Amino acid sequence: MSELVVDVRDVRKTFEDGRIVALGGMDLQVSRGEFVAVVGPSGCGKSTLLHLIAALDEPDSGSIHVGGHALESHKELSHYRARHVGMVFQLHNLLPTLTAIENVQVPMFELDLGVRERRRRSQNLLRAVGLEGRERNRPPQLSGGERQRVAIARALANEPPILLADEPTGSLDSAAGRTVLDLIERLRAENGLTIVLVTHDRDVAARADRLVHMLDGRARPEPMLATSLPSSFPQPVGGSR
Amino acid sequence: MLVTFGSLIVKNLFRQRTRTALTAVGIAVGIATVVALGVITGGLRTASNDFVKSGGADFMVAQKGASDLTYSAVSRRDWQAIEARPDVERATGVLFEVAHVGSNPFFFYFGYEPAALGGLGLRPVAGRLLAPGAPREALLGAKAASSVGVTVGGSIVLDGLPFRVVGLYRTGDLWQDSGAVVPLATAQELSSKKNVVTAVHVVAAPGADPHDVAKDLERELPRLVAIESAADYGKVDQGFEVLGAINLAISLLAVGIGAIGVMNTMIMSVFERTREIGVLRAVGWRGSRIVRMILLESAALCVLGAFVGVLLGVAASRAILLVPAVSSFLTPSYAAEVFVRALAVGLVVALVGALYPAFRAVRLSPMEALRYE
Repeated sequence: MSELVVDVRDVRKTFEDGRIVALGGMDLQVSRGEFVAVVGPSGCGKSTLLHLIAALDEPDSGSIHVGGHALESHKELSHYRARHVGMVFQLHNLLPTLTAIENVQVPMFELDLGVRERRRRSQNLLRAVGLEGRERNRPPQLSGGERQRVAIARALANEPPILLADEPTGSLDSAAGRTVLDLIERLRAENGLTIVLVTHDRDVAARADRLVHMLDGRARPEPMLATSLPSSFPQPVGGSR
Repeated sequence: MLVTFGSLIVKNLFRQRTRTALTAVGIAVGIATVVALGVITGGLRTASNDFVKSGGADFMVAQKGASDLTYSAVSRRDWQAIEARPDVERATGVLFEVAHVGSNPFFFYFGYEPAALGGLGLRPVAGRLLAPGAPREALLGAKAASSVGVTVGGSIVLDGLPFRVVGLYRTGDLWQDSGAVVPLATAQELSSKKNVVTAVHVVAAPGADPHDVAKDLERELPRLVAIESAADYGKVDQGFEVLGAINLAISLLAVGIGAIGVMNTMIMSVFERTREIGVLRAVGWRGSRIVRMILLESAALCVLGAFVGVLLGVAASRAILLVPAVSSFLTPSYAAEVFVRALAVGLVVALVGALYPAFRAVRLSPMEALRYE
């Protein structure tokens, strides 16, 4: 049996003093090297689940273990975020005053890397995402797809074993979206990444090893293979919580 | 191609150049006030210290509790008692008065016994010293001679009484070099202070510790006080203490106003970057690193303001000294202490102004910051 790297059990999360239930007893298990797509309608709690796994927010109850770390008792969540997970947002969230290569270097502040190593690593990452020659461009000088590729390079800057992607192609046209997905798949193959990706898009979901379909803050009982995606799978209608 | 913590801070500051520049100017004005006042009060202290030690004196004795040195009155009997002490080599009484001469309302003149002038360190530049039994003769300090345009053979009117200038001198003491020396008896008559001097300059006898002599004198003559340096000047001149208090009050005001300006700038900057701070937290930055970033941005802003403020303050103090009446009793003192204080004020402003914005930046969870609109 393959090793579990993400283990989410009975996680609940509400907003606005309990009036909005984002997660109502969510379970998710992801094995090392697996590519899991979390799908479901808007507001079903997909993004909230991802944010909790990334330790960007705290659950009301339940347990989340990532790479052996119990997040509810982890004392230094910033240390966890810097080293164990890389996060890609729907909107790139790059720092506008920094160049592409500087944006990639931002997470490295938390590692004791020498100047040369930081430069080497950031150049390699930009080369890997196909942005060689665009290092000195600032986000406004890059296309949407290029910005998202910089964001992926930034997410991988500290060589985390797990990549979390929240609608990474949601703001891109289909060609740019395909390029980004190809890139994610290639990086996964090269680095043995575990990927948890949230999406509305059936084409994106079809790339995953496994689908987790969410509804009303919970996973459906039977996980589906991506290839068995039903034709009624909802199309994108906007951002999810 | 490599972003460093320092370059990130500079980039953040230069995002809103006009706002950064205006905040730095606000800080600079406060710092300039602190520097100018520091330079002026420092200069006043130096000048008063020189006066205390004039003629090679170890210390000066004056009336205890006088609100201003010119109001001090030491009787001839007390002066003689000091003079008679075996641990005192020399005790020179001086009557210190202020007159309006030409356009200068603060022209100092000093009444000395003509016989004592030889031991006072007056270096004649022209003419001669005062002759005994010549009540209407005066000596002019070299600086005073050039400012009032009178030389040997000319005359000067002090408090309505004309004096014939018989010599020019230099002492190295600004107040005496900017004033005049007249016979003590004439000065006493002119100011209606018969048998009284303002202060007595004391030189301790060889082998005697001047400090011990000063303390012993205060015990023996409790109505008098010994001034060993400018630090003791407040004992006979409340103006010094008032000036010190004003200096402190303006420094505090500069800190307060500067801190509010910096806080406003930093709060706006942090509000505008809330999402970015969320991103930094999301990629693993510790809260302490974000606090450090905001504090250093604020410190860089304040150091820039302090640098400009020091230049403005020095320029302002020089401009003030262009007024002849001021330059007659004040020389600027550019002591390191003044600039250290200016930098300290700048850093306190930076710290006070950035604390709340920094606290606010890390109080939000990464997700709250990322959701911020």
